[in-house]
Amino acid sequence: MPASFTLVTPPSVEAAVAELATGAPGDVLVLAGGTDLLFDLDSPRVAPKRVLSLRRLPWRTLDWNGPVLTVGSTLPLRALEEDREVADRHPGLLQAVRAVGGVPLRHRATLGGNLGRAAPASDLLPVLLALDAEVDLVGPNGARSLPVDRFLVGSRRTAIGPAELIRSVRFPEPRPSAYLWQRVRPEHDISQIAVAVARSPSDGRWRLAVGGIPPRAARLPEAEARLSSQAPGDAELRAAAELAAQKLPIAADRRASEEYRRHLVATLLERAVRTVSASANGGR
Amino acid sequence: MTPSPLTLTVNGRGRALDGVPDSERLLDTIRWRLGLKGTKEGCRSGECGACTVLVDGVSTLSCLTLAHEVDGASLTTIEGVADDPVGRTVTEAFARAGALQCGYCTPGFVLALVGLLKERGWAASTDELLQDLSGNLCRCTGYLAIARAVAALPREAP
Repeated sequence: MPASFTLVTPPSVEAAVAELATGAPGDVLVLAGGTDLLFDLDSPRVAPKRVLSLRRLPWRTLDWNGPVLTVGSTLPLRALEEDREVADRHPGLLQAVRAVGGVPLRHRATLGGNLGRAAPASDLLPVLLALDAEVDLVGPNGARSLPVDRFLVGSRRTAIGPAELIRSVRFPEPRPSAYLWQRVRPEHDISQIAVAVARSPSDGRWRLAVGGIPPRAARLPEAEARLSSQAPGDAELRAAAELAAQKLPIAADRRASEEYRRHLVATLLERAVRTVSASANGGR
Repeated sequence: MTPSPLTLTVNGRGRALDGVPDSERLLDTIRWRLGLKGTKEGCRSGECGACTVLVDGVSTLSCLTLAHEVDGASLTTIEGVADDPVGRTVTEAFARAGALQCGYCTPGFVLALVGLLKERGWAASTDELLQDLSGNLCRCTGYLAIARAVAALPREAP
């Protein structure tokens, strides 16, 4: 039986933060799109007293300020996917968004919800890492921001405070980027492994990130350090990809063996870097 | 806990429902309170698309939506889909192509496709429509006939 709870729908950010700050920790869960949360609420192990809906907060926004893209935390993923400028300037983000569920799911699922729930198999977190996205939080002590890499703590664990909410996610600059994943059934499965790759035009450095394996999506700093040029040659690329595959704490589970996952990481990384090199050369 | 009444427009008709618990899924409201059994429960976890309905014209998984989250909205279920020219055209295309075997997934496919056409317009390509129907599963694997129905849709407003 699903838990019985009270749905609270605060009309303002202040009211939402105040609501979160009342009661014992664990009494309240935050609902954005609900596509991940509602699945959990069918479990008897998850029994909040209150569920706090963000639907009346003014956070269904998408704003460009020069190179900086700010996505409100409750904007449905479908709206992000349908934005031409996002598609042009953040191709890897678009690919990652389209890897999430089907269209009816993406009409409700949100970037803020995906971040807050911090699933190890999230299709969005690797690309947020590769794009150096920042999480804007609001809470009883005001606003603060954290890089996604510091926001993510572990499987289903983040650095968010007990009365804080994710207001928006900021992407500092457009980057040539790519997101690639491997699944048993392409349209209906969780990724066995996924990689996000981006190259910053301002500092010339590569960002490599991996997802689909516990505990959390992660950057691959050793492999990044091996890539120096804008279009790495075969040997350089192979060395970086193999280093990434060796360094990862990969375990086998029912979705893939350890050996297969290591093979996939290297293969997908090589492919993604080549894609990004080619798109940067193509003058996108 | 006394939940406030839930107000919905269901297939064009205004409804006010009392006593809907805050934790109730839209799917259960549709099937068990409104008695509209055309909306199907498949996986109840967002993987199959069988429970797809339109909320204010936008395709939505009713299994992963709390009923009170769409308070005030206009719902279209399979029972009301043919009241609208887009819905009528899609159901006719499915019928002509014989795009169903057991039929359990059909309401979800029809509503998802109607939603896409409302978003994208009639000029959307067959490939694009099929790609964006990938969230709907047919366990009979009757996909070829469904693809034929999509391919046979008119390319401008009927």
